[in-house]
Amino acid sequence: MRNKANNAAELSETKLLDQILSRRRAMMFGGSALAALALGNSVFAQTAPPSDADILNFALNLEYLEAEYYTLATTGLTIDKIPTPIGITGPTGTTPGTVTSKANPMVPFADLTIKAYATEIAMEERNHVTVLRSALGSAAIAQPAIDLQTSFNTLATLAGIPTPFDPFAIDLNFLLGAYIFEDVGVTAYHGAAALLSSPANVTKAAGLLGAESYHAGLIRTKLFELQTASTPPALDIFKATQAISAARATLDGSGTSDDVGLSVVGSSATIVNADADSIAFARTTTQVIKIVSAFFPSGLNGKIVA
Amino acid sequence: MIVGCGGSSSHPVPPPPPGPITDTDILNFALNLEYLEAEFYLRATTGNGLSAADIGASPGAVTGGTKVTFPTLDLEEYANEIAQDEVNHVKFLRKTLGSAAVDRPAIDLTAFAALATAAGITGAAPFNPFADENSFLVGAFVFEDVGVTAYNGAAPLLTSKPFLTAAAGILAVEGYHAAEIRTLIYESSIATPPNPIFLADANKISALRATLGGGNEIKISATTIAPLSSGSSLAFARTTDQVLHIVYASGAGVGSKGGFFPNGLNGKIKATAA
Repeated sequence: MRNKANNAAELSETKLLDQILSRRRAMMFGGSALAALALGNSVFAQTAPPSDADILNFALNLEYLEAEYYTLATTGLTIDKIPTPIGITGPTGTTPGTVTSKANPMVPFADLTIKAYATEIAMEERNHVTVLRSALGSAAIAQPAIDLQTSFNTLATLAGIPTPFDPFAIDLNFLLGAYIFEDVGVTAYHGAAALLSSPANVTKAAGLLGAESYHAGLIRTKLFELQTASTPPALDIFKATQAISAARATLDGSGTSDDVGLSVVGSSATIVNADADSIAFARTTTQVIKIVSAFFPSGLNGKIVA
Repeated sequence: MIVGCGGSSSHPVPPPPPGPITDTDILNFALNLEYLEAEFYLRATTGNGLSAADIGASPGAVTGGTKVTFPTLDLEEYANEIAQDEVNHVKFLRKTLGSAAVDRPAIDLTAFAALATAAGITGAAPFNPFADENSFLVGAFVFEDVGVTAYNGAAPLLTSKPFLTAAAGILAVEGYHAAEIRTLIYESSIATPPNPIFLADANKISALRATLGGGNEIKISATTIAPLSSGSSLAFARTTDQVLHIVYASGAGVGSKGGFFPNGLNGKIKATAA
């Protein structure tokens, strides 16, 4: 962390918080999460609304992706091969897709604290797979084909990060890979919550939303700390996260800047990814799929696939 | 409430019907919590509280709370962001509720000292979250996970879908804040030189919240930054009753004020029932 004695220029900032933050969020011409959601609904007004099972299966695709990413990073194994394996098959006769990653994807963590964080998130994402599969019962989809290798290059190129980008190479790359997923999970559950009809499922989605926002807050805080450390990495983390956020905002097709990277604006951090009202962004299922489609080379499983 | 104990009367006076809890009641309950968080963070970062435009026509007074000195620039930048987020939540809820928004209740920011004592935190002086930047983190910790559990518990109670979406959006922001605060407290314990006291204090607060608020707590460690339910890894949810017990710093039983709210919350949801 930086000591303030080295930052006299920033010390002189005595602006009111309102003025500082209005600059941060003036960068965003996008509207509120509610507006985005309303637009999404109107576009699809002709289609029958998805069932709760369809929505939970949509979420299950994302949880498979996250669970595989973190489990490969911390163990080198896929979630069906670890000592306490997680089910990935679907209804009878449905076989899971292949998970593609580099050989030996276990991250050689230099910082054991980051490894501990990764291990925690890996376990929690596996639990999310299990809890959704359990809620869906025989309706649970199989794990779709997942690409955790070339997929990152697609997004890295869009974000201006040097390729080939290997998220399993070093601590920092792993955190950037996690950054790509976590905020998207938040926007996905946020958007889905109001689509669910059963109160029990709303409760489940809210609990999952809370968990993903904890993860996102953890990853973003850690990345912020690395950039402001006494010896920051060669890659400018603030610029990289801003580029990833901008790429997500473009990919989702919402036409709004519904994504905020890490920065210091005035004298405030931007750990939280939220709109001008400090409400987290929400995305429609379609917008989420546009962002994550590179990770699913054969598409998502279930009814919500586009 | 004591009812029906007048044996001479054949028509005991029934308690006033509580009436159904509406979305407005729930959002006003949340607004009380946001007033508390906003006053805490604003006073810690600026020395001043919410402006007159954001507290209603007949606001309660705020006791305590002074600007924190932040030697670490990052911590000040984190605190400034959270302060603005909480102010925005107050404004957003007041705007959403319109004329139904409750005024700011009386808030006592000196209540941290008694809460810390109840948690078993000891020291030369009473615990004061405004004393230094690490104590500030522990003060923030008192609130942040509670906000997550409150919104998580409230979300399924809301009948309006737009309100549900808004509450979910605030829930997520509180989750970002809570993870950030928990990460910083954990890392203070492994800094160079290590400073384990604040992690120990925060975990004592967590234990007290569990006692007051029906469990729903996981202490902070390197592998429990996110406090989630065992097995399913869902964020915890609390009933309004459980949240009230925490912010009133009150044990089991009927009550309607105390702790951070010396006159209780404003609005319909203010009394603990159990």
